Amino acid sequence: MAPVNRISRFLLSCLLAGLLAPGIHAAGVAATENQVKAVFVYNFSHFVDWPAGAFATPTEPFVIGVIGSDAFAAQLEEVVRGERVNNHTLLVQRFHDADAIRPCHILFIDQSGGAQLERILAQLKGRSTLTVSDLDGASQRGVMMQFARADNRIRLRINVESAREAGLTISSNLLRPAEIVRTSSRE
Amino acid sequence: MTHVDTSSRPIRRTLLQMIFLSCGAVLAITTTTFLGYDLLTFRQASIQQLQTLSEAIASNSTAALAFENPDDAAVVLGAFKADPHIVAAALYDAQGKMFATYPRDLAAGRAPAQPGTAGYQFTHLRLLGFQPVTTGSRQLGMLYVESDLDAVYQRLQLYALIALVVAALSFLVAWLISRQLQHRLLVPIHALTDTARAVSDRNDYTVRAVRTGTREFDLLTDTFNHMLTQIQRSEHKLHAQLARLGLLQHITRAIEDRQDLQSIYQVVLVSLEENLLVDFCCILLHEPASRTLTVGRMGASSRYHADALALTDALAVPVDESGLSKCLAGELVYEPDVGKVALALPRRFSAAGLHSMVMAPLIVRNEVSGVLVCARKAADAFSSSDCEFLRQLSEHVALASHQIRLYGDLHQAYEDLRQSQVAILQQERLRALGQMASGIAHDINNAISPVSLFTEALLEREAGLSDRARGYLTTILGAIDDVARTVSRMREFYREREPQVTLAPVQLNDLVPQVLNLTRPRWSDQPQQRGTVIELQTALAPDLPDVMGADNEIRDALTNLVFNAVDAMPTGGILTVRTAAVSRHPDTTSVMIEVGDTGVGMDEDTRRRCLEPFYTTKGERGTGLGLAMVYGMIQRHSAELEIESTVGKGTTMRLIFAASSASITDSAGTARTPLPARPLRILLVDDDPMLIKSLQETLQDDGHIITATSNGLAGLEAFRTALQGDAPIDLVVTDLGMPHMDGRKVAAAIKALSRSTPVILLTGWGQRLIAENDAPAHVDKVISKPPRLSELRAAFAELKP
Repeated sequence: MAPVNRISRFLLSCLLAGLLAPGIHAAGVAATENQVKAVFVYNFSHFVDWPAGAFATPTEPFVIGVIGSDAFAAQLEEVVRGERVNNHTLLVQRFHDADAIRPCHILFIDQSGGAQLERILAQLKGRSTLTVSDLDGASQRGVMMQFARADNRIRLRINVESAREAGLTISSNLLRPAEIVRTSSRE
Repeated sequence: MTHVDTSSRPIRRTLLQMIFLSCGAVLAITTTTFLGYDLLTFRQASIQQLQTLSEAIASNSTAALAFENPDDAAVVLGAFKADPHIVAAALYDAQGKMFATYPRDLAAGRAPAQPGTAGYQFTHLRLLGFQPVTTGSRQLGMLYVESDLDAVYQRLQLYALIALVVAALSFLVAWLISRQLQHRLLVPIHALTDTARAVSDRNDYTVRAVRTGTREFDLLTDTFNHMLTQIQRSEHKLHAQLARLGLLQHITRAIEDRQDLQSIYQVVLVSLEENLLVDFCCILLHEPASRTLTVGRMGASSRYHADALALTDALAVPVDESGLSKCLAGELVYEPDVGKVALALPRRFSAAGLHSMVMAPLIVRNEVSGVLVCARKAADAFSSSDCEFLRQLSEHVALASHQIRLYGDLHQAYEDLRQSQVAILQQERLRALGQMASGIAHDINNAISPVSLFTEALLEREAGLSDRARGYLTTILGAIDDVARTVSRMREFYREREPQVTLAPVQLNDLVPQVLNLTRPRWSDQPQQRGTVIELQTALAPDLPDVMGADNEIRDALTNLVFNAVDAMPTGGILTVRTAAVSRHPDTTSVMIEVGDTGVGMDEDTRRRCLEPFYTTKGERGTGLGLAMVYGMIQRHSAELEIESTVGKGTTMRLIFAASSASITDSAGTARTPLPARPLRILLVDDDPMLIKSLQETLQDDGHIITATSNGLAGLEAFRTALQGDAPIDLVVTDLGMPHMDGRKVAAAIKALSRSTPVILLTGWGQRLIAENDAPAHVDKVISKPPRLSELRAAFAELKP
């Protein structure tokens, strides 16, 4: 291992630490649930592979849509600021209802969106959009990723079937510790 | 060689050490290199392996970190169990907080509280590494891994074991190979050692080491064998040289024991034939004067070839034809093939079947006295050592012959010296005898002088003498003459010969009867008394020319020859005396007279030595002077002497004189007595009264006036008195030997007083004085005693005419 390489890695890690430090640190001190969830949502972008047609152009931003509270959205914007996913800049967009949903790569649906969940999912049918929600039982209802609280920790429940239908590939790393669920009622 | 240096090591051990050391060194270097290389690669591989494992674990723990699932992280870290060498691991989150550990119950402080920089390193007994956990470009945390180095140590142990086994195997193989090599190396060495030992122990140079098939050793073996061959050759040469030396010594010893050249040559030649195995050998003697070579001696077996070579003992080969000129210049000449030499002598050798020859000069003091010639039938049959041997031998022979010559010369000189001593003794004795005889002769001459004078006076003056008386007186006178002659001869007996005889014409035919008459008792009377007969044969040539000579000497010589002839015929025989005119040279006529006998003859040695003084074959009876006197006469007469003698047949001695060219002048007629001279006043000086008396009376009868004195002083006084008076002395007759004042002094004194007065010296030694022509000064005439009246008258008439 060449020393230059080692030094550059060191500098890089320092830089990364410097860049990330303010937000993460602030969040870490009083790590709210939203903060954790925002980080998790962002993290999904790294553990899920989108099909080639998900991006029209190589420079098209990676869009994370939020349906729910503005606070979370703000939190999420905070997390993704300056980050990139496979050379795609990150863009957080808020949608107020299902009809307002425009094409996005991840869509977070908070607990307030429980009522219109089926509509939203139907809206996304045929699109390669990873759906994430912290709504209880959401995964059984067809949401691909669900945050579930257990032992004061946030665990993942993953509906692999839905993700496969959407053409998304989920990393086995993500799958191993997660709880795999299936859509409970299939119409 | 039985002694072995204890500090020396056997080649076997050295070889083994060499192989083990080189093998060990190779093994050590190889093992170390491989070990180092392997450790290095193993460490890198370990790092690689650990990194790969860590990366895998890190990759697996991304979700755990990303979604803050420590349980899952622990499970993921549990995968490290697959590698038993990983003793500790820890996962830190992005904030650097420890997130999970392996093993799950890792003691606090066992892993660093904070993550270090990414990378792997070996620390004390550990391999540590920090592996970043990233997803995409995001770093989610850091993985810490710690591995023990047991693997390395195990590997090292394994290596050590393998190295040991390999070393053991290698050494075993090396030992086996070295055994094989040793065998291949030691076999030739041992073979050489055994050969060398055989040579040194037994002095056997014929053994040879056997080649073993290894190039260097074969080279060594060949060299060794070559050396042995050389030594063997040298040894052979040495032995040959020793044999030659032995032979040389043997010959030299043999030479030493011999005293004459011929037997030395004999020994040398026989030794050469027997020991050097030459087919022909001889010694040629060099005659520098005639430039010829004669065969001095030939080897006994070589005579076989002598006929073919046409070499006989007496043959003289001219040097120029011999091909020996170079040899005579002092060089040893070796002709390996005489057929190629064009000269006569080598040709002869070639024709006789002798093809190689060596000619060694016999050199003494830079002069070549002869040549030792050796030849063999085969061509090129003489080696250089043969030549060297012959050269040395020739030097020995030359030296020996030189020494023998010197010894001979020395012996001869000694013999001459001894002879001279004897001769001197003899001469001394003769001189004493002669002096005695001379004295006696003087006295006798004095004594018979009156007899002679008176007899003459009687015969002349006494007219009334009867014929008988006259006859007696004549006989007395003859007897007196005989006595005088005998006395004279007695003196001659010892007198030293004058260098030049006064020569007169002599008729040899006249001498012969005289000699025969004189010697008659010896060849006639004495043999008859013994009962043997010696027959005399004379053959005198008529009209023989006279020869110039002294008749008395020739007579004596002939007398001696007759005596010798008679002595040579103790049992009788024929005595021959012959004269003849011979023509020896075209221009000159010679007269020969020979005395022969039919007696015992002389052998070679006697004939050679018979002329030496005091050499006699007659024992006590002979003086050894007879032939010596004859030879002396011959020399003085420039005549020649020829001796012919055969043992048992007799001897003939021949004297050859040159014929006289002078006409025969007979002086015998002058013997007539002259008439008395005119009367003179004569002074007589003699100490013998008898002589004075007879002379005085005889001369007075002739009419002379005589004054007689008995000594020189009285005579002088009388002369002086007469000179001063009116009747001076006309003539002086004085004796020679007188007391106080001898005849010479008297004559001198007389001449001092009157130069013109003649002086006649009378002497008993008179004849000698005349013959030696040493008449003293002041003496006008010498007359020997007994004085004859006729002589005196003639002298007076001559001096006072």
